[in-house]
Amino acid sequence: MTASSQDSARPQNTRAIMAFLREHSPFSNMDDAHLAHYAEHASLRFYADGDVVLSPDDGPVQRFYVVKQGRIRGERERDKDGETETTFEISQGECFPLAALIGERPTRTLHRASGDTFCLSIEHDTFVMLFSQSDPFRDFCLRGVSSLLDQVNQRIQTGAMASIGSSNSLDTPLERYAIRNPIVCSPDLPVRKAVARMHENSVGSIVITDDKRHPTGIFTLRDLRTMVAEEKGPLDTPIGQVMTRNPCCLTANADAFEAAMLMAEHHFAHICVVDDDHRLIGMVSERDLFSLQRVDLVNLARTIGTASHLRTLVSLRKDVSRLVDAMLAHGADSGQVVKIITTLNDVTVRRVLELNIKKNDPGIPFTWLTFGSEGRQEQTLLTDQDNGILFQTPEGMTEQQVREKLLPFAETVNEELAECGFTLCKGNIMASNPKLCLSGREWDDWFARFIDASTPQNLVYSSIFLDMRAVFGPMEPLEALLDKVLTRIRKNDLFQKMLAGNAITRKPPLTMFRNFRYAPDGKKNTLDLKRQGLAPFVEAVRVFALANSVGTANTLERMQQLAIKGVFDTKDANAWQEAYSLIQAIRMRAHQEMLDRGDPLSNYINPDDLNPLDRRILRESFRQAQRLQQKLEITYQL
Amino acid sequence: MLEQIKDWIERRKAGSTGGHDREHLPTPKTAGDQRLSDCRLIVLDLETTGLNPAKDNVIAIGAVAIRHNAIDLSDQFDLILRRPELDISETVLIHGIGPEALTQGHETEDALLHLLEWMNGDPILAYHSAFDQKFLEKALKQTLGYTQPHTWLDVAEMLPAYYPNSKTGGKGLDNWADFFDLEVSARHHAAADAMVTAELTLAVINKAQKNGVVSLRDFNDKLKYYRQLKNIHRQG
Repeated sequence: MTASSQDSARPQNTRAIMAFLREHSPFSNMDDAHLAHYAEHASLRFYADGDVVLSPDDGPVQRFYVVKQGRIRGERERDKDGETETTFEISQGECFPLAALIGERPTRTLHRASGDTFCLSIEHDTFVMLFSQSDPFRDFCLRGVSSLLDQVNQRIQTGAMASIGSSNSLDTPLERYAIRNPIVCSPDLPVRKAVARMHENSVGSIVITDDKRHPTGIFTLRDLRTMVAEEKGPLDTPIGQVMTRNPCCLTANADAFEAAMLMAEHHFAHICVVDDDHRLIGMVSERDLFSLQRVDLVNLARTIGTASHLRTLVSLRKDVSRLVDAMLAHGADSGQVVKIITTLNDVTVRRVLELNIKKNDPGIPFTWLTFGSEGRQEQTLLTDQDNGILFQTPEGMTEQQVREKLLPFAETVNEELAECGFTLCKGNIMASNPKLCLSGREWDDWFARFIDASTPQNLVYSSIFLDMRAVFGPMEPLEALLDKVLTRIRKNDLFQKMLAGNAITRKPPLTMFRNFRYAPDGKKNTLDLKRQGLAPFVEAVRVFALANSVGTANTLERMQQLAIKGVFDTKDANAWQEAYSLIQAIRMRAHQEMLDRGDPLSNYINPDDLNPLDRRILRESFRQAQRLQQKLEITYQL
Repeated sequence: MLEQIKDWIERRKAGSTGGHDREHLPTPKTAGDQRLSDCRLIVLDLETTGLNPAKDNVIAIGAVAIRHNAIDLSDQFDLILRRPELDISETVLIHGIGPEALTQGHETEDALLHLLEWMNGDPILAYHSAFDQKFLEKALKQTLGYTQPHTWLDVAEMLPAYYPNSKTGGKGLDNWADFFDLEVSARHHAAADAMVTAELTLAVINKAQKNGVVSLRDFNDKLKYYRQLKNIHRQG
């Protein structure tokens, strides 16, 4: 019987519910028979706006729900003041509750209907039946809500894995990484002696082999820890009784990628390398594989830092992009990756400056400043120059005379940086601009005017100049300047309020109905992940940071500091850091994909190109931005 | 209950007769003290060959059941009747049931017997229920000689009673479905229309319970009261 004829034998309403379910995860991956089972055993329930759907007082959860229409919001009482706040939102096609149902306990969060809402629910027995028979359904339920993040990360990683290509070290044969002559012993050796042998050789594992040198088991320091902690036996137990049997083995011609995937999949830290007769010839550990990537980073930074010609620096930019791919492939989070890009960018900027000083030293002590995203250490591959000079005026010279010496130098540096891929700043926020090549005193005056006269133009500039950092030269002059600027802002409530007002003008791209609001300027139906997605976080966090004397410019670090200072609730700070990082991750993956296609980099994406999961995460992240802006509105009574 | 229908369909396909107990058909229940949240309510929609009960006939029956304030999808009814003799030319474009479907449908007598058993005498709700009531009562009387009156409740009357001043832009099922943002999977398919009617009924029951309506009698009385009010307004 074909699927369609089977389908037409089902009642219309069953078919309609199956069609609805099929549009959403995990149902989209489930067999028709299981979908039909769901549809035929479901109940449709109605909840008016504000009705309680599930409450912690209801006892262990008995039903599994899918939102058919409307929304459910989770409510939690805040520890601080007992006020309730929304912790999550569940919209059409999404399921709840997972953790409580699997854990057979009451829900910890009050679930309330937001707007008139219909849910399709199944009773516990139907849930158990589907859970036991449908793999996609079980996987989805077990991984729970937190797995959404895993799934996004996984997708980012697999995407990056695919683009690594042959240039990467991970497809070289395993034998090159394997430690020859691994530490081995026979199964009758007491644990105490085996551990002593590991200690002597400073290794974390020992392979237990039989008399044909076939690996029969493995024992690691982790096993030792478990053995001691759980009192599994005395230390003179023969190791054969406590080892992990049948250790994971690969042949020497398998590649490192295979080994890495095997380790990631099974959470093994060690893999035995064997020959064709299954005899042990070596051992490879997680650390052996992944240290390669660190070497790459360190090597690359060193190569950039010692390059003797501009053209070498220009050619190394490609390696930076490749490294980013590799980092993403190894599950580095977007915060780490942007920091690495910034680190490498800093090294490049420094090297360009050093090469120019060698060639043509202006003879003036100066600090090279960077502003904006570079100042915040939040650069991605798409970046333009925002820089300036803070100089010390040598005795007997006027500031104007110093400037005349420094400006031609700065101009060359700006141009050479452009050749390295740092686009020239359209707004001329560059060190070669006489207005941004200033002494400490001049900068202080400049900031004083900037803060006192809060013109609209100044507010636009605030996102650039109030996020600054020294990349080259002595740090002290900048620290002294920053100190004065922060004090000035802390004392100026009006400026703070204007900054806050400015920070909430850019709303996260969600409509009242939780749909995406498209960018007004980009291509049709696109979102600007930078201006609409990240900027609301960056700008709101900046206001709190400046008002509370947080000196760092990095948004994630600012949030961290604000949590430590008690300005942000820790849970809120975590949620905002996570949301910000996820938008950044989606943006970076889009950049890598554009690079692969040879398209110019842009921050616009069409949310329809994302899978439903990413769309949902993006929506939730934008909602967190709305919450952050609400906090700003309350704090500054906007 | 769905399993029963499946069994019954299988038996019909296999050619055996219905095996209905004609002497003991269910007796309709009245709107008494049964709690609104506990009793079973039938929400029904018919597709017919036309609008005139005197000459037109039922060709499809779709129904769902509400119990414990929820639509129980394991308890539904969705059948096209076998009536090859009927002229459906006037309405085929509305319900999409063509002559071919009517020859393959279920034998009328058997289907109606099964409907009676499935409904089990429970109160029947429908949108503009007078229409469905006339058609169904005529069909039951002509085909089975069954004349016991069911309790009928009109969903079209409940909605403005419990959601007064709603800007629906009209009194039709589509207007109310739009107002609640409901999607009808297949308009003018009896079962899909019954489903959306039932969804609207859930919204009504939710509101009624918040207004202190507990028993089916209360519920029915409120509707009567509303009808009187409306008549007074009309006369005044």
